[in-house]
Amino acid sequence: MKVLFLTRKFVDGDDISEYVKSLAETLVNEGHEAFVLAFDDGEYYSVDERVEVERVPLHYEGDSLYSWSMMLNNEMKEKGRELFDERDFEIIHANDWLTVPGATAIKKYSERPFVLTLHSTENERGFNDPNSEVISELEWKGGYKAEKILVNRQSTYDSAVYDLDVPEEKIEVLNPLSGDWHSSALKIYENLLNFKEIDLER
Amino acid sequence: MRPLFITWEYPPYKAGGIAAHCEDLATTMASQGHSPVVVTFGEREEKEYRDGVEIHRVPANNGADNTVSWAMALGDRMEKKALELSKKKSFDLVHGHDWMAVPAATGIKKTLGLPLVFTVHSTQQGRDGIDSDYQRAIHNLEWLGTYEADQVITVGRDFCDEVKHLYEVPEEKINYIPNGVDLEKFDQHSGSLERQNYALEWEQIVLFVGRMYPQKGPGHLIEAMPHILEQKPDAKFVMCGSGATEHYKGLAKKQVGDKVYFPGYVSDEELLSLMKESEMTVAPSVYEPFGIVPLEAAACETATVGSYTGGMKDTIVHEYTGLHTYPADSNSITSQVTRALEDPGWADWLGDNARDRVEDNFRWEQISAWTTGIYSKAVEQK
Repeated sequence: MKVLFLTRKFVDGDDISEYVKSLAETLVNEGHEAFVLAFDDGEYYSVDERVEVERVPLHYEGDSLYSWSMMLNNEMKEKGRELFDERDFEIIHANDWLTVPGATAIKKYSERPFVLTLHSTENERGFNDPNSEVISELEWKGGYKAEKILVNRQSTYDSAVYDLDVPEEKIEVLNPLSGDWHSSALKIYENLLNFKEIDLER
Repeated sequence: MRPLFITWEYPPYKAGGIAAHCEDLATTMASQGHSPVVVTFGEREEKEYRDGVEIHRVPANNGADNTVSWAMALGDRMEKKALELSKKKSFDLVHGHDWMAVPAATGIKKTLGLPLVFTVHSTQQGRDGIDSDYQRAIHNLEWLGTYEADQVITVGRDFCDEVKHLYEVPEEKINYIPNGVDLEKFDQHSGSLERQNYALEWEQIVLFVGRMYPQKGPGHLIEAMPHILEQKPDAKFVMCGSGATEHYKGLAKKQVGDKVYFPGYVSDEELLSLMKESEMTVAPSVYEPFGIVPLEAAACETATVGSYTGGMKDTIVHEYTGLHTYPADSNSITSQVTRALEDPGWADWLGDNARDRVEDNFRWEQISAWTTGIYSKAVEQK
């Protein structure tokens, strides 16, 4: 199978980057294809050479992480569309609210299932950013649109259910510090591919 | 052609001039056989057909921290709407208006692979500068709009140069198309006005129309008022517009008392009648990319005394359709307003010329045709 990962950063030592990297490397080790789409901040990353990485630049400095990442997502939508024209990915896997707008747009035109990992929620982080409401709206939107939500721990599961109204059957807790989480993730991908009904009305 | 208009305001929602501009442009395009679709802000999700234009409204998230974030969040929802619509009908291009439309317009351009046309109505630098992070975030969005656009439209000749230099826009993709006026709207209008609400029978109305902010220069006119009255005691100043009204009202009342009147909110109808009744309008703007007031006054056969700046260099022809003043110079306003009041016959002649000139040069039919010409360029380039 072919999986397209969306992540804001792709940098050695960053926890979300490491999460994406280890999933991507597992995929290629098992004979699948993995592709990472991330912001080009010029920082270093190391990854198995079978994993393809595309980094998009952004000529915009916003006044907040929120406004900056909304514009970054526009770049990801364009790059994602170009990539889909060349090769057909089977699954889109986004990480946190930071890549939700890009992932939902790519889902809409590619009609492919969308997996979202919430590494934490705005409620867990304290809801104390000036843009918390619009950030939380993106988490809600991701929770609503994704076919599957992955979380790393029980507290995020609880927040996704109670704060973001994600149906429980959609969420899976995969602790990336446990030994067998990769195989669980791959199984989730496989199930999604077997289950062809993608709800595009959402 | 089927352009997709992205604008944060579209009538009946109106705060600045973009709403009226988009409505007049879209309606005229529809009457010329095009099929414009508008995606804009609304209190709730709504769909409407009006004058051949399909209008979709999406609500915003008012929890956003500031207007930049608000525009980003609205952009996300506008884009969703546009993607839905594109499944049923394909668009030829996206046409965004001012920085608030940039997040949605670039998002749609990039997601659907459409050409982008971007109209700059004013700049952050011109409005109130680019000093804070917030102001810079707006300035950068304006830049990004011009950078991502296949064709850029500006509404004033001088303003076109300003935009070109400020954002380093390549010559081959920047255009000047003036704003227009819908003459029918002015001609169908009945013109009845309770004049005694505004002035005594023998008084000559000198009208200001605009938001009461320093950019529009109401303070310079107020400074000139007592000097004008020394020479022409029959003058009566009527100051229409929202903004820092109380501040300017206090200043003006202190200067000339009952010789100035602030009517507060005035309906469009009433405003047209007032323009027809006035000896002249005064547009003392310090910065004005285009400035629609001189054209609206002209449609009412009323001359404008306006600053020699931005769009008014073009929309007023000195001593032919109105009079120019030096920007931010109350002495200059005094002398030009007095000149016109001295000779009402001449002021009428200026007003008639202004109307003729608008009929020849600032009609929406023409502006719409120029705009679709630019659309074709953008589509061919893509």
